[in-house]
Amino acid sequence: MAEVAVGIDLGTSNSCVSIAKGRKVDVLANGYGERITASVVAFKEDGSVQVGNTARANLILDPHNTIASAKRLIGRYSFSEEVKKARAICAYKILDGPGHSVRIQIRDELYSLPEISAMVLKEMKSIAEAKLGQPVTKAVITVPAYFNDNQRQATKDAGKIAGLEVLRLLNEPTAAALAYGFGKGLTQKVAVYDFGGGTFDISILEIGKDVFEVLATCGDTYLGGDDFDDRVIDLLADEFVAKHGTNLRSDVYALEKLKVASEAAKRTLSVEEQAEIRIPDIARDAQGVALSIEHTLTAAEFERLVGDLVMRTFKVCDEALQQAGLVARDLDGVILVGGPTRLPLIRNAVRSYFQQEPRTDVDPDEVVAMGAAIHAAALVGDVVTEEAAGGGAFLLDVTPLSLRIGVAGGLAESVIERNTPVPIEQTRTFTTTQDNQERVQIRVHQGESRKADENELLGQFEFTGFKRAPRGQVRIDVTFEINADGILSVTAKDKETGKAASTTLSFSSGLSDGELDQILEADRTSRVQTEVSEDEEIAPAPPIAPKPAPVATKAPSPAPAAPKPASPAPRAKPKAAPSEPRVPATPKPAPAPTPPAAKAPAVIAIAPEEAAEPAIVEDTGTGLLVDGEGDSSLELETTQPRMVSPAPARAASPAHAAKPAPAPPAKPAAAAAAEEASADEPLDLVEDLDALAEAALVDEADLEGIEIEANRDPAQKPDLAGNAESLFDHGADLSRYHNDDE
Amino acid sequence: MITAAEVRALVKLVDELDYYQLLELQRGAPASGVKQAYYATSRKLHPDANRHLEGADREALGRIAKRVSEAYQVLRDQRRRQAYDAQLSAGTNRIPLAEADARADKQALDDYLGKTPNGRRFFGLARADLDRGDLASAARNLKMALTFEPTNEGFKKKAEEVRLALRNAPPGHVGPPPIGR
Repeated sequence: MAEVAVGIDLGTSNSCVSIAKGRKVDVLANGYGERITASVVAFKEDGSVQVGNTARANLILDPHNTIASAKRLIGRYSFSEEVKKARAICAYKILDGPGHSVRIQIRDELYSLPEISAMVLKEMKSIAEAKLGQPVTKAVITVPAYFNDNQRQATKDAGKIAGLEVLRLLNEPTAAALAYGFGKGLTQKVAVYDFGGGTFDISILEIGKDVFEVLATCGDTYLGGDDFDDRVIDLLADEFVAKHGTNLRSDVYALEKLKVASEAAKRTLSVEEQAEIRIPDIARDAQGVALSIEHTLTAAEFERLVGDLVMRTFKVCDEALQQAGLVARDLDGVILVGGPTRLPLIRNAVRSYFQQEPRTDVDPDEVVAMGAAIHAAALVGDVVTEEAAGGGAFLLDVTPLSLRIGVAGGLAESVIERNTPVPIEQTRTFTTTQDNQERVQIRVHQGESRKADENELLGQFEFTGFKRAPRGQVRIDVTFEINADGILSVTAKDKETGKAASTTLSFSSGLSDGELDQILEADRTSRVQTEVSEDEEIAPAPPIAPKPAPVATKAPSPAPAAPKPASPAPRAKPKAAPSEPRVPATPKPAPAPTPPAAKAPAVIAIAPEEAAEPAIVEDTGTGLLVDGEGDSSLELETTQPRMVSPAPARAASPAHAAKPAPAPPAKPAAAAAAEEASADEPLDLVEDLDALAEAALVDEADLEGIEIEANRDPAQKPDLAGNAESLFDHGADLSRYHNDDE
Repeated sequence: MITAAEVRALVKLVDELDYYQLLELQRGAPASGVKQAYYATSRKLHPDANRHLEGADREALGRIAKRVSEAYQVLRDQRRRQAYDAQLSAGTNRIPLAEADARADKQALDDYLGKTPNGRRFFGLARADLDRGDLASAARNLKMALTFEPTNEGFKKKAEEVRLALRNAPPGHVGPPPIGR
């Protein structure tokens, strides 16, 4: 049998798998006939793992052991805003792992994010295998265009853990454009407006006869459909507090229900003018009387709630158009991607911004997976597909974010600007700030700010072993390389000696190679019980009888969840959950957004009356609940050294020779030298454009010498103090988070 | 598509080729030609179009492909291209992108303000003339500014604008506006 490679859209809320053969592109449905599968992972008490819409039912039943929206956390450091936010709202425990990575605790086991995502991927792989009747080992996986390097690495690791050879990480908007242009032989300029569950991306592409060139990509990784849900949750929770004095946010189960209801209401508003939200018995008052939520959410009210979020996307669109050197009317088409783009609110806004009707002939939930499948087929050499795609292998993509290096004064010098075509390699030369400096800290940032700490820190390494010389005389070449996958490596090299002193940094996916091996060994993804086969055994999977979507939705729904909410006693619930693991499974086909029969329109349709039934386990948003326990406290010690070495490093300095990355022992003369050096740093003080250009021409920007860090003395040296302050920003942030946690 | 033997030959040459040669473009090629050349080169040299290559050949191809991206990024942008051309005639066939950008920015500033004291002075006078609507005087001052900086694109552009405006203006409006006196 011919080698096959699938395309997987690994989404924040939902995932989708597709295959291209010849001129045909098929979305592969799971055992229930659902073409998209919830990216939710439920860990059952018996050790098995469920993924998908069944697992979503568990969000309400057993929120501590059910993970939704893992994509929001993947490849992030434990001190990042997103993780901080998740800590506040997720029921499951988020802990610090090695090197500031994130771990999730499920019962007594720790899981890394790539492992969680791997479970979703594994499910998608199983779905494809069941449908195709052959093993699937190769895939193209899509990522938001705006994903940074760590997030890409982590996603790649997830694929590996799931037993997939990741042929390529493809940017979601690019994939969408591929699917859109497939077989049409178009020559057009198009915009892909990709509003997903957790991220917003906009890409401008030029589709040629046989080339897809990305002209510009911009995005906002902190903006997605989940944020719409959050606004509705806030509205409902605030109303509830005002009315009953009970804060639902502090009850994990109530909050999960609110989430599900808010999300369902959002979906309803994609097709209806208003959504009735009803959550019976969400809490009890002091006398034990059941309290419910009833709220009619109108489109107008919803628009008031989230209008500013929608407007935010157009600021990003402005940026993308400007980068591409185009104006809205130059575009021949606008492609919508992502579930939220079904909202009339968004469609109208997009229409008026781009002054044209957005394309609706491609299903926004499936188009990305289809594009990935087309690319996958082309990459394994399916010539017909390649031809139909107009030589679809030809994606000329760009890097979405500028790559920078931290230099003196808390600044970050750009080495590769955003929207530079990839693959690319760029080298810039830097020098030392200290006489006889022995080591420099090379800090790699990604983002658009000249200030280092306003960018994402991708990673850092210490570079030593270069020639010792007076300051400014050492030439260190730092080379950034982005391969065709958009994955970065950084190398530092002593320009003079050239050899030996070369270090290559590969970025952290949150897993070291050793850990990755262990994970592969342990193969916990094998616990994923694929719904396809398993549910068939237990209760012959309900054939996909295309029911009238709205009615069907609520009929099954009361089953799993409605009984539960009755008793708000939190501890009792996790027990109850596993006892009926499969119950929610059966009803699912109905709420599935895209029953095969009538894909596009059948989407949300929850009858306004029952819309709010918590059991409508559709898509989920971010996780949500307050977990009282401070997770990170014990990690603080280990976290410090990796971020910014100074403090711990100094403690360790006596043993400096042996240690891999300690600061050098404070030199007696260095304090004085440091002051001079800081006055001398060319880039530090330069503000006007002319001088900047000058500095760049000699192509030397001072690297922060680690001596400066070691000898900072804010009291005595004001100049240096500012410098040191920014160096320590991350450290300061850390302790702040730490305190919050406590 | 490219053969393994071609890759091996090309990778040895790649450091000696300038961006135009890499993209097989004429030095003076119009901006519109750059994209076409990039597409054509990519068809031949993009790693995805050459899946038959493996190991060292693949690595070598990657090196070439990265240089092609670099060439395109420089030549596609008029200002970066100008900075590169200036450097190329001095004999250096590569320009770091950050440097091309910095030079382009500096050039833009020079073009806007002028880079010699006299150029700046006369260009400033010309702009003041234009603000007052005195086209004739602006034309004279621009002519002076250009004698000091004959290659300044900003000056040239402004002079051309004024020339056209003068040609189109009704005779009465050529001189200084009556109210100004």
